[in-house]
Amino acid sequence: MTASRHASFDRAYPDVSQPGVAGSGGFAHYEVDARFYDEMFREDGTLRGVSRRLGTALSRASPEDLAQLQEGVARRFIHEGITFTVIGADEASEQIIPIDCVPRLLTADEWDHIDRGLRQRLTALNLFLRDIYHEGRSLRDGIVPPDLVLGCPQYRVEMRGLQVPNDIYVSVCGTDVVRTHAGFAVLEDNLRVPSGVSYMLACRVAMKQAFPRLYRAHNVREIARYPEQLYATLASLGSWAGTPRVAVLSPGRYNSAYYEHAFLAGEMGADLVEGRDLVVHDGIVYARTVTGLRRIDVIYRRVDDDFLDPVTFRSDSLLGVPGLFHAYRAGNVVIANAPGTGVADDKAIYAYVPDLIRYFLDEEPILANVETHLCRTREGLAYTLDNLDRLVVKEVGGSGGYGMLVGPHSTAAERDRYAARLRSHPDNFISQPVLDLSRAMCFVEGNLEPRHVDVRPFVLRGRSDTWIAPGGLCRVALRRGGLVVNSSQGGGCKDLWVLRDGQVPD
Amino acid sequence: MLARAAADFYWMGRYFERAEHTARLLRYQLARLVDTPAGELAVGWRVIYRALGQSAPITPTVTDEAESFLLADAYTLAASLVEETTNPDSIIRCWTTARDNAKQLRPWLPVRVWTCLNQGFFWLRDCDFPAAWATGPAGLAGEATDRLRLLAGVVEARMPRDDAWRFLELGRFVERLQHQAALLDAWDRIGQAPGDAPSLSWAGLLRVCAAHEFYCRTHSMVIRRGPALAFLARNPELPQSLCFAVHRIEKLLAGIDPRGARYPLAAPHRMVLRLSATVETDPANQNDAEGDGGSFEALLKDSRALHGITVSTYFDYPVEAGLPS
Repeated sequence: MTASRHASFDRAYPDVSQPGVAGSGGFAHYEVDARFYDEMFREDGTLRGVSRRLGTALSRASPEDLAQLQEGVARRFIHEGITFTVIGADEASEQIIPIDCVPRLLTADEWDHIDRGLRQRLTALNLFLRDIYHEGRSLRDGIVPPDLVLGCPQYRVEMRGLQVPNDIYVSVCGTDVVRTHAGFAVLEDNLRVPSGVSYMLACRVAMKQAFPRLYRAHNVREIARYPEQLYATLASLGSWAGTPRVAVLSPGRYNSAYYEHAFLAGEMGADLVEGRDLVVHDGIVYARTVTGLRRIDVIYRRVDDDFLDPVTFRSDSLLGVPGLFHAYRAGNVVIANAPGTGVADDKAIYAYVPDLIRYFLDEEPILANVETHLCRTREGLAYTLDNLDRLVVKEVGGSGGYGMLVGPHSTAAERDRYAARLRSHPDNFISQPVLDLSRAMCFVEGNLEPRHVDVRPFVLRGRSDTWIAPGGLCRVALRRGGLVVNSSQGGGCKDLWVLRDGQVPD
Repeated sequence: MLARAAADFYWMGRYFERAEHTARLLRYQLARLVDTPAGELAVGWRVIYRALGQSAPITPTVTDEAESFLLADAYTLAASLVEETTNPDSIIRCWTTARDNAKQLRPWLPVRVWTCLNQGFFWLRDCDFPAAWATGPAGLAGEATDRLRLLAGVVEARMPRDDAWRFLELGRFVERLQHQAALLDAWDRIGQAPGDAPSLSWAGLLRVCAAHEFYCRTHSMVIRRGPALAFLARNPELPQSLCFAVHRIEKLLAGIDPRGARYPLAAPHRMVLRLSATVETDPANQNDAEGDGGSFEALLKDSRALHGITVSTYFDYPVEAGLPS
């Protein structure tokens, strides 16, 4: 697809005197369900103000037009290698993340609310991480049970007492935000190695090509500065005589997010390194170049703590760099995010984040948490076991949608098996109600239909500034009625347009 | 530049050159299926496999039955060089491995280069070899050559002349030097036979090397062994000549490691000077019309040594050797 091959319905100012209505015309297959907040339509089936222009244009689009657009986007992703690797039983295969060609829209006010909530949350989480690796006030004061923190597999005793540059433990964060009729809420904080930002940027490029006129007319806030901001954030974490040399540490090309590692390194002008490219000599980290060893100042690591350094963490790690943690402790290299941050995105700790915000910031949380029951407590376990068919149960250290039970979609046998696991290791689980995730318009199987969505905005925290890309990876549960948005579980993604001035003038 | 990335560029260049060389030889051989006697075709297959350093899956025969098996043999032999994934030097394997190298080079590789490379890979991977054979055996090799040349053109147009480009080119020309030396050697040793036995023509060698027209224009329409070999070894204006490859390697090394080009010379620079001297000093009695079975062995040996020295100097050096002074 090229910029010159525009869809016929891509008009900057479509005739909005006859806007589309859910359930008729171009939206014949779109059914508004009052149980779920609909991002596109009001409950009476008319377009929301923010969606009026986009919806009107889409109502005039033929399924063939949209299919052609969708196919063009997919083809472009394949040819440009915007893929993730799936490791099968026999071999690794490359797949593209399914992209939906209908953007989701948010007004400036809605985004402002999310933006303030995320800043507040990340500030509190950084203070919490500093606290648990130093004084431990929040543990002594009973804000979070000490055994929950100290017993967490992601708690790194090696970080105790270590002065992290500028007290910034989490520089890069991807927080999953959902919307229900009650408003926005945080579903999960990803503080270790959050991924997906490259798909957010690639989606945006694809949408600009697909809807150039509509895009321009919507006055959408730009997200293209993310790599530049990421570099500035990483460079701000230390004090350097000259320009710091930044490297992106990747597990290698078989990692599912390898494209993203390569993309970010390329956009930042950083070295894309693997463990074997780095050596530590006299406490200094060097990269092997063709003209000898060159010092590395900042490592944006996309490798889990366990594998960072075989001398300090898992001795069987082939992905890490022997002696890296020693160099880090000596203050000779900055690692972002800092080792040991995973404790703060543990799903059990998540339940305490609102209390942590109140404790550290003396503020009320701007973004709500999802109601969470800790199975490690007697009441939490009993409630979860009594209501398995109505709850979502997750492992506290799980990710990617793996190892969870979605009660209403499970069989009695599955629930029995899960209950046995719960009883034997209650500490390992939390439960949450099944959320009425909002729905957005998607082009699926030749029709415009609603699907459940969430969004993962990306937050960067530098020495003196916090920057949030005004957009995010909007994840879509592509299966009809499905609630799991993870790409590993059949989810896709779409672009999120954050508008500059709230409503689009009609 | 990161040593591993440089190594990946170097290998990517080598694999693409290898694929293009194979495609070029195949294009020549398959185009001759129409009218060339079976015995001569059999010699052609032997020369190709020998030049590529591979053993043929079947032995092409020069006996009387050869005519009946001509197409079947050609199909088997060509398939092994194009689509056989178990053959590490087949075109599909070269392309796949080069793409694997390229995947690790995304931060350094312009998007257009990657896209061109990737589209070529998908074309080859999804190619129906039997169907392509049915429509014209030489067409597939021709298309592969054209796509590889398109890629070379996009590289030429899009890549800055930095170390990434230099290592890519270095890989290409080291590979070219080795392949051309092996081709001249094989053509000279087993492509010729005394008396009436089937032989390959010297004009054919010039055609394979895209040098026939240039030779006729600058030398003569009468093509003999000595001048033809000398032309392919020493003409500095012919991209497929040994001399051209050696000079390019010399220039690329000077860009990669300017200090190594000053005395005392670094090991790769020293080796390339030696190669240059060998090319200039008649490696296979090129002035002899008949030849004496001499070969390009010394040149081949030195070009392989150059590869080893390049790897140990720029990619796999000991840590102590790389520490800043």
